[in-house]
Amino acid sequence: MSGFDIFSILLVLLVILTLFAGVKTVPQGYNWTIERFGKFTRTLAPGLNLIIPYFDRVGRKMNVMEQVIEIPQQEVITKDNATVTVDGVAFFQVFDAAKASYEVSNLDQGIIVLTMTNIRSVMGSMDLDQVLSHRDEINERLLRVVDAAVSPWGIKVNRIEIKDIVPPADLVEAMGRQMKAERVKRADILQAEGARQSEILRAEGAKQGQILQAEGRREAAFRDAEARERSAEAEARATQMVSDAISKGDVAALNYFIADKYIKAFGQLAESPNQKVIMLPVEAMSMLGSLAGIGEIAKATFGEAATSQAAARRGSVPPAGPTKTS
Amino acid sequence: MAELFVALGSWNWLIAGFILMALELLAPGVFLFWLGLAALLTGVATFALASVLALSWQAQALLFAALAVAAVPLWRRMARGGTAESSATNPFLNRRSDALVGRVFTLEKPIEGGVGTVRIDDTFWRVTGPDAPAGSRVKIVHADGVNLIVAAV
Repeated sequence: MSGFDIFSILLVLLVILTLFAGVKTVPQGYNWTIERFGKFTRTLAPGLNLIIPYFDRVGRKMNVMEQVIEIPQQEVITKDNATVTVDGVAFFQVFDAAKASYEVSNLDQGIIVLTMTNIRSVMGSMDLDQVLSHRDEINERLLRVVDAAVSPWGIKVNRIEIKDIVPPADLVEAMGRQMKAERVKRADILQAEGARQSEILRAEGAKQGQILQAEGRREAAFRDAEARERSAEAEARATQMVSDAISKGDVAALNYFIADKYIKAFGQLAESPNQKVIMLPVEAMSMLGSLAGIGEIAKATFGEAATSQAAARRGSVPPAGPTKTS
Repeated sequence: MAELFVALGSWNWLIAGFILMALELLAPGVFLFWLGLAALLTGVATFALASVLALSWQAQALLFAALAVAAVPLWRRMARGGTAESSATNPFLNRRSDALVGRVFTLEKPIEGGVGTVRIDDTFWRVTGPDAPAGSRVKIVHADGVNLIVAAV
């Protein structure tokens, strides 16, 4: 093997190795930093890049995609001295590969510690109830602080989300009891409210009923009084008419009425079921007197002819003509 | 083994070329394809020139080295074409702040002392620009990493 042989083989090997060293294919989503004799010179963008072998070398292969970091669990004491266990996630993206590579020595660690300490300070300034109910506010405050703090590192924190906030077990139990008591209280109040309402409504109803009844009675009394007045008036009028009739006419007409009533009363007595035999003194004379009265009327009304007819019928009462005349 | 290489002669280059190209498929982006291409060309050249002058294997090796170096500018041109294509379809991949240039936003809080924040896509961006009261509209004119330079609309 001559020297030229060895030379040519080594040359080929050197060329190949040099090409491998000088040609850099950066995948999408990464930026590589280039150091010339250990000093940063430039950043390689994704794609195929050439560097000068022997002088340049790849420093850091920085991921410029958005990344998620788990913020580990930690115990935080709130403003009202409750100890809660909190964990979360942070989303960040490298914007300046050079700064992210050389401004901070351990990027992930830096972000995690920064976020953890800020979670403590933000939650430490809030009550437990606020911590549990104002997650958006906590996230936003954390984001503002942490994002401002990491900007010298050429990265941007896009989101910080608190995942779990776990109060101690006895506190959770107490919260559960508090909620239950709250619900029970509401239920009791509602029930009492209902009872009160229904009582009021019932009383209202009774009151209304009584008022209406009283009104009814009053109305009835008014009407009764009116009726009595009316009947008294009618009585008076009738009496007036009768006395007028008597004063104008004959006393015999009166006798006719009395006799008529007398006989009707007799009829009624006879019809009554419990009394078949009636013994009472009949004043035949007065009856006859009233009959004579009838006769007088008949005479006055129908004249002689009627009298003879009446005599033939003997005792039959003429139709109510004479009442009409009175 | 050595006898086999000697016996194969110029075929060595063609075989090596194909092997290198195949390896490129297994390990992409390591420039093996171009070495393979150089090897193939060397093989073809030796066969073509065999009638005129027979190249010694040392000469063939040097030719291969020269072709491998020459492949670099060719590959650069191809690579540039590739990046041009990808940047046409998605120019702002992994360059989120550059994608915001030209957009107009409303200030939630005023810019004071030349520095403020703007809420974009549910996160906050640091902006620098002329002082402006809250509620005024600003346009992003330039992106400098995480910092956006704005101008009043």
